[in-house]
Formats: sequence, structure tokens, C-alpha cells
Amino acid sequence: MDRLFEALFLGLSAGATYGLVALALVVVYRGTGHLNFAQGEMGTLSAFMVWWFHDKGVPLLLAVLMGMVFGFLLGAVTEVTIIRPLARRSLLAVFVGTIALFLGINAYTTGVWGAPPDEVLDSLFPNDPDDFVRVFGTVWRYKDIGTLAVTLVITALLFVLFQKTRFGLAMRGVASNTDSARLVGIPTGRILAGSWAIAGALGALAAVLVAGNQGQVTPTLMVTVFTYATAAAVLGGLDSPGGAVIGGLLIGVGEALAAEFAPGWIGQDMKLGVALLAIFVVLLFKPSGLFGTAKVERV
Amino acid sequence: MSLLEVNGLRAGYGPVNVLHELDLAVDDGEIVVVLGANGAGKTTTMRAISGVIPRSGNVTFAGRSIINSSADAVVRAGIAQVPQGRGTFPELNVEDNLRIGAYTRRDGGAATTADVERWFTTFPRLAERRDQRAGSLSGGEQQMLAIARAVMSRPKLLLCDEPSQGLAPIIVQEMFTIIESLSKEEGIAVLLVEQNANLAMEIAQRVYLLETGTIVASGDAETIAADDSIRKAYLGY
Repeated sequence: MDRLFEALFLGLSAGATYGLVALALVVVYRGTGHLNFAQGEMGTLSAFMVWWFHDKGVPLLLAVLMGMVFGFLLGAVTEVTIIRPLARRSLLAVFVGTIALFLGINAYTTGVWGAPPDEVLDSLFPNDPDDFVRVFGTVWRYKDIGTLAVTLVITALLFVLFQKTRFGLAMRGVASNTDSARLVGIPTGRILAGSWAIAGALGALAAVLVAGNQGQVTPTLMVTVFTYATAAAVLGGLDSPGGAVIGGLLIGVGEALAAEFAPGWIGQDMKLGVALLAIFVVLLFKPSGLFGTAKVERV
Repeated sequence: MSLLEVNGLRAGYGPVNVLHELDLAVDDGEIVVVLGANGAGKTTTMRAISGVIPRSGNVTFAGRSIINSSADAVVRAGIAQVPQGRGTFPELNVEDNLRIGAYTRRDGGAATTADVERWFTTFPRLAERRDQRAGSLSGGEQQMLAIARAVMSRPKLLLCDEPSQGLAPIIVQEMFTIIESLSKEEGIAVLLVEQNANLAMEIAQRVYLLETGTIVASGDAETIAADDSIRKAYLGY
């Protein structure tokens, strides 16, 4: 029973970071209908910036905020200079473009910081051996509680942004009907750049949490997380922010349970397969995801 | 000087030019209809005025040139469009559809809320469905919503692109009545493009006939409606 609770909790904590990246994917997808394959790598690059700021003497919390600003700008610049010109060509051009961006950033971070990997980054939360509470006899470390809490707070903030602000209304308008959005006077370009910027900041935060979890920033920091996040976004519904977070938590729990209880042949190395299986099953049986909206168009 | 003056307007899609030297004008508070068959360039005319497609020539609105204005600047200048095929935001609820119509206004949330309530009073059928997604409304309700959404920006000129399209005759009648009363009661000028010549000419003061991207005839609605040769040649009945 303790093993179950502990696996559940660790799953939720890991799932929270998947959920954050999935949120970033959803914010971009709702705006432009694109899946940003470079989302994870953009976060990794931002996390390296956080490490660099911190290494130069900036306090960690401030460095993280600066890293999120970097991610914000990176997202906006990427949309304006790379995505927008490609989107005038075709959806496929954007698809290939984001993969190229993934490879480019990965090559850059590997080249600059790859060997030896000594970019140590502390967790944002107290992380000494005795920084934990016991719940039902299981160990809940502060950093895991913190990760989960940050994700829930960010989700709530995004909900307010989407549902209660003028910018959020404009974002939902652009996502729902770009042509009409232009006709009511929404500067659609600025809204799309804004969506990518928000996604960039979210990706930066997620990468910092993941890096803090494993103690250092590495060029492959977000590769696995991005795969789980994609599964989470597809599972929750690519246009549903709440679904993305719930999808992330479900994937995290599923992963943890699989690693803890599944037969040996699934084990640690095969658990990524759980995510891929989830993507496959969802796309096959419910392409709009658990909480996504099926596109209905009157003809 | 007219409210809207269009001179030598050219516009199209990519290398294909649809409008050739199009001229028209709309006065304050006036209802003007542009009649034309499929492919004559009616929708292109509307989209060129709104600035959502590339165009050249001269377009002045309230004395200012808007030929180089972006689509959002055109809305801020006071032109709203009800696009062809409703153009509502299907995933947004009815109330948000109205609120988003006020996006360019700078007079604050309270004024927007007051206007939302006002149009809900004018269109009680929309009020009953204020929390429903626009995509779940009937065609007539969506058209009503699209019109209300457009006037939320407090325009001086309303562009209506075939409001009768795909609606039952009795609903079409209702839409034209709504448009006519908006013009009369709010003083909003209306530029309407239509295939449904009879009904449109009943509410319009002036008529333009559009054929392959250029105006081939124009005049008072009554004169045009009574002119057999024009009717036969361009309206096909």
C-alpha cells in the first residue's frame, strides 16, 4: 500500500512537469494549429541560460525569472522569424521547421555545454536529505510537492488569462476563427507571437523544474519529458489547457505505476513505450482527446 | 463628401486580379446594395475594403485614406464587417462572441458590458442562449449573432456579405428587417452585397450592379428595380 501511495505521488510530481510542457504545446496549438517539436529544446536552452545567470552570481529565483523572460522572448522571436514565414507556405513546412529547430538547438546546447556536463542547478525548493514530510507513511519530498504546486498555480493563472482577460478572449477568438478575428480588429500576428512567448516561458519553467529535480542541466534534459508531454497533450486534447495538465498527471502516474508494478520486461527502460502506446490508442479511438473539442464545421 | 469613397479599387488573390477599377460610394446613414452573380467579386470587394486582402487604388473613409490601413486599423476607424457564412466564433459562447466584437474599443469593460446587455435586449433569442457555444445555434441565430457582434464595435459603416445565404426565406426577411432598423435607429450606414436582389432593393436607397469585378450600372433602388432591361441583363429574371 505504501508503495502504491509513493508511486502515485512521485507520478503526480513527474506528471506535473509533463503537464507544464503539454500546456505550452496546447497554448501554441490553440493559436496556430501547430505542434511545436522544439518546445522541449527551447526549454532546455532557457534552463542553460538560468544556469549561466546563476553561475554569474544572480540569485536562483531571480535567475529563473530571467530564464522565463528569455524563454518568452525566444518564443516570440521564433514565431515571427521562423514560424510565420513558413506558415505562409504550408502546415508541413512548419512541421519540418520545428523539427529543424529541435535539432539546431540540441546541436547548439550539446556543442556549447555538452562535455563535460558540469552545469549543476539546484532545485528551486529546499532539497536537503531531511526536506520531506510523511504522508500515510510515505515520503513526500518538498521539491516534488513544490513542482506539483507550481504547476497547479500556473494552470490556475492561465485559466484566468484565457477566460477573464481581453488578451485571452482574443487568443480564443484567433483559435476559433482566425478570419473573423481579423475582421473584428484583433491584431492576429501579435496574438500568435504572444502565444508562442507564453509557451516559451512555460517551457523554461518546466525545464528548470526538471533540471532541479535531476540536479543539473544537460542537452538531453527535455527529450524524454517532451515525449511524455506530447502524449499528455494528445490524451487531454490538444486544444484543452485543463486537459493537458490532467493528461500530464495521468501519464506521470501511469509511468510510475508501470515502473513500480509492471512485470520486469516493461521495467524502467520500456516505460517510454507506455507514453507512445497512450498516443496511439487515443489517436485511434478518440482523436480529440479526453477534454478536447471535436471540430465541427457547417458546410 | 461621402462617408466611404472607393475609387479605382483593384484586389485579388495572388496573381489573379478579381476587381478592376471598382468605384462606389456610401453616404452617412445610407443603405447601399451591391448586386452581382456568383464570382462577380462581391466578397472580394468587402474583404478589400476591410483590408484583409492586398489591394490598391483609393479608399477613403470619413475623409481619411484607409488604403494602407491594416485590418484592425480599419475596424478602429469605424468599419465593421459581417462576413459571408456568418463568421461567428463557434467554440466561444454567445456572450463572448459579442464581447470580442468590442475588442477595438477603448472605453472600458463597463461600457462593453452595457452594450452586451443592450443587444441582448434587442435580440432576446440571443439572450436565451448567452452561455451556449455559437456553433450550436441555428443558421438564423448565428447570422443575428454575427450582426450584433459587428455593431458591438460601434461602427459608422456596416459591411454585410450576403446575410441571406443559406437561410429560409422567412429568416432572410427577418435579417433584412434587422439591418434596416439598425440603419434607421442607430444611423449606421450599410453596404450590403447580395444575390437576393428583390429583398435587398426593398431596404436599399441605392444600388450598384457588379459584373466581373467592375460596376456596370448604378442608380436609385426604385429606378433600378423598375428598369426591365437592367433586370433582364444583370439580374436574370
